Amino acid sequence: MIGLISYIAFFATMAGIMAIAVLGLNLQWGNTGLFNGGVVAFFGMGAYGTMILGGRPEAEQFGGFELPFLIAFAGGILAAGLMAWVVGKLTLRLRHDYLAIATFGVAIAFESVTRNAEWLTGGAKGLRGFPRPFEAAIGDGFTYGLVFLALVLAVLIVVYVGLERLVRAPYGRVLRAIREDEVAARSLGKDPARMRLQAFIIGSMIMGAAGGLYVTFYAFVSPQDMAPILTFQLWAMLIVGGAGNNRGAVLGAFLIWGAWTLSGFALARYAPASMQLYAGSVQYILIGLVIVGMLLWRPQGLVPERIGKTFNDRAAKAPTNTGAHQA
Amino acid sequence: MKRKLTGFAALAALAIMAQAGTAAAQDCAVKVGVVYPTSIDWGKPIAATALWVTDMINEAGGIDGCKFEAVLRDDQSDPKVGVDAAKALVDLDKVQLLLGTVASGVTIPMLTSVTAPAGVMQMSCCSSSNRLTQIAAEGTTKGLWFRTFATSNVQASVAAILARDSGYKTISILYKNDDWGQDIAKLAAAAFEAAGVTVVGSTAITDGQPSYRAEVTEALGAKADAVYMAIYPKEGISVVREWLSLGGTQNIIGTNSLKSDEFKEAVGMRYLANFQGTDTSTPRTDSATAFVDAYTAQFGAAPSGPGLPNSFDAAAIALLAYAAAGKDAKGADIAAKVPMVTDPAGEKIGGTVEGFTKALALLKEGKSVSYQGGTGAVVFDANGDVSAPAVAWAFGDSGIEEKRYIPLEEVGAFMDSMAK
Repeated sequence: MIGLISYIAFFATMAGIMAIAVLGLNLQWGNTGLFNGGVVAFFGMGAYGTMILGGRPEAEQFGGFELPFLIAFAGGILAAGLMAWVVGKLTLRLRHDYLAIATFGVAIAFESVTRNAEWLTGGAKGLRGFPRPFEAAIGDGFTYGLVFLALVLAVLIVVYVGLERLVRAPYGRVLRAIREDEVAARSLGKDPARMRLQAFIIGSMIMGAAGGLYVTFYAFVSPQDMAPILTFQLWAMLIVGGAGNNRGAVLGAFLIWGAWTLSGFALARYAPASMQLYAGSVQYILIGLVIVGMLLWRPQGLVPERIGKTFNDRAAKAPTNTGAHQA
Repeated sequence: MKRKLTGFAALAALAIMAQAGTAAAQDCAVKVGVVYPTSIDWGKPIAATALWVTDMINEAGGIDGCKFEAVLRDDQSDPKVGVDAAKALVDLDKVQLLLGTVASGVTIPMLTSVTAPAGVMQMSCCSSSNRLTQIAAEGTTKGLWFRTFATSNVQASVAAILARDSGYKTISILYKNDDWGQDIAKLAAAAFEAAGVTVVGSTAITDGQPSYRAEVTEALGAKADAVYMAIYPKEGISVVREWLSLGGTQNIIGTNSLKSDEFKEAVGMRYLANFQGTDTSTPRTDSATAFVDAYTAQFGAAPSGPGLPNSFDAAAIALLAYAAAGKDAKGADIAAKVPMVTDPAGEKIGGTVEGFTKALALLKEGKSVSYQGGTGAVVFDANGDVSAPAVAWAFGDSGIEEKRYIPLEEVGAFMDSMAK
């Protein structure tokens, strides 16, 4: 039983970390319509930033400043934000697929840097040995797993609540207005370029936070973690969960990661012995089928965006239309 | 409502699986975790080899009258997926032994965040990063970590011995731009310097480029007597073609990764007369050919991908040690029995059903054996690394020819001289 709880806690920790990143992506794509094809770069910037600031020193290696966890974590988030600012300044003039390709290129470049800048990132052998926060006090193992899960869930809740407030506020309405029709938004006196950049940076910082938690959990990061598959996984989570809806983003993260891991587990256990070698490939087919099925039959996601409803509710509560405008 | 149902269904599925787990354990099977990238073309035969060894050892008697049951998981070469698989194997299947995996970037988080903290023994066939040696030396792995992949230091040292004996004064290095390549390039540079061969340049070769002219031109600029190539055949073919067409020297020293007929044919024999290759040795015993024969009989084709003899040996040594430790053994107990399986003073046993039967009987009597596997008589050092004798090879008209056998002592003496 302990084993089962331990595994579920581990699973929830990983899914929670990815849910945080998906929330960041949801702000960019779901609310603002920015097609970020390089999620893994911002996730990775948070990861490497946190590791370099908080890791242990090593010979011939920049970094290893052994800063306290919270400072290293904040540093990782800032690093991701800084990169988003630079990337955003350069690429946000691009629309949709062009932006996707440009950001995808950024991710490939980032992976290349982590693989080659050995003095900074450890190169292909990666960076290791992050002292996990409070490990000495809690001890390694079962309890630590639960405490770390609590930390991840706390960050997830903070991000979720923060984003919910942000997108319900007038700020969120402007983002959606830009997503739907940029010219119209500009005609109302909004500055789409600035708003897009802000949303891009905030979303990227949230992805960076997920990356920071990820390295803290594994105490290791290498270019192997920077493969484009992560971008794909996070996008699949958002699409299945429902772009534009934060609850959908979180649900999608847990469901897709659950499908990803449970399918492997179930195949290992129930597939006939002769099929075991092909289970890995079958798993890919299953995951692909789920995503394609969702796109075909429920393109809006499991929990679709619900602007209309809240807007109508508020409109109904307001005494008159003019009153609603003034409020 | 729908969401609640989904959540409930997921929980129910987990519970049922946990139930099934306990049910399966009762019919006397000892579970062993196997995590390899089965969804990748070269990963499948590595996993198949491990499963094959499990069947052979079961046929030879298994463990305390029970059978080993290999639970195979795919890591997709994705750290998240590999660590999750390891965690599920350790927590839900309660394995005490885990075989895997290939990519060091996956193996390391599996080892440091799952198996070592849980006291589970882990043995890999193919992870090459010297980060693993470092982690083991720091004590993080608690002696639970082994790999049957000989570290690059042996090959790097042999390359230096060859360069010195061929009278080269200067050498240029071209290396594959991954953990293995970066690692061996650094080790080789140190070894060349120790052997009195000056390294005049070191150039990274990244996979899948349409042309390597820029890299080759850069390396050619150094005008070295010889070139050391730690690259794979696919890139190797383009690099060597460019190298030769731009007037580069034919004095080439290559790693075992270039030991391929495809490479030989694509480059052409007449350019490879001065090519010298290095490899950790196939042993003097018959066990290596025995492995090739047995593999061919089992799978209908000769072993040609990377890591197959290593996977065979990893599974065999780990499972024999498990059998020696008994079915209730914990990871540390199994690890403690590994030296009994690889004891050079023990009776030699081969990697066949008969060999395993004999080994199991001897181990039960408390006697140690010397396992002779696909990669030779493997011996682990304190960090779980393999030390191995080496060979120099060359391309001949009939294929790959072995030129010189460099025993463990000579390789060791050279490495010691480097350390000074």
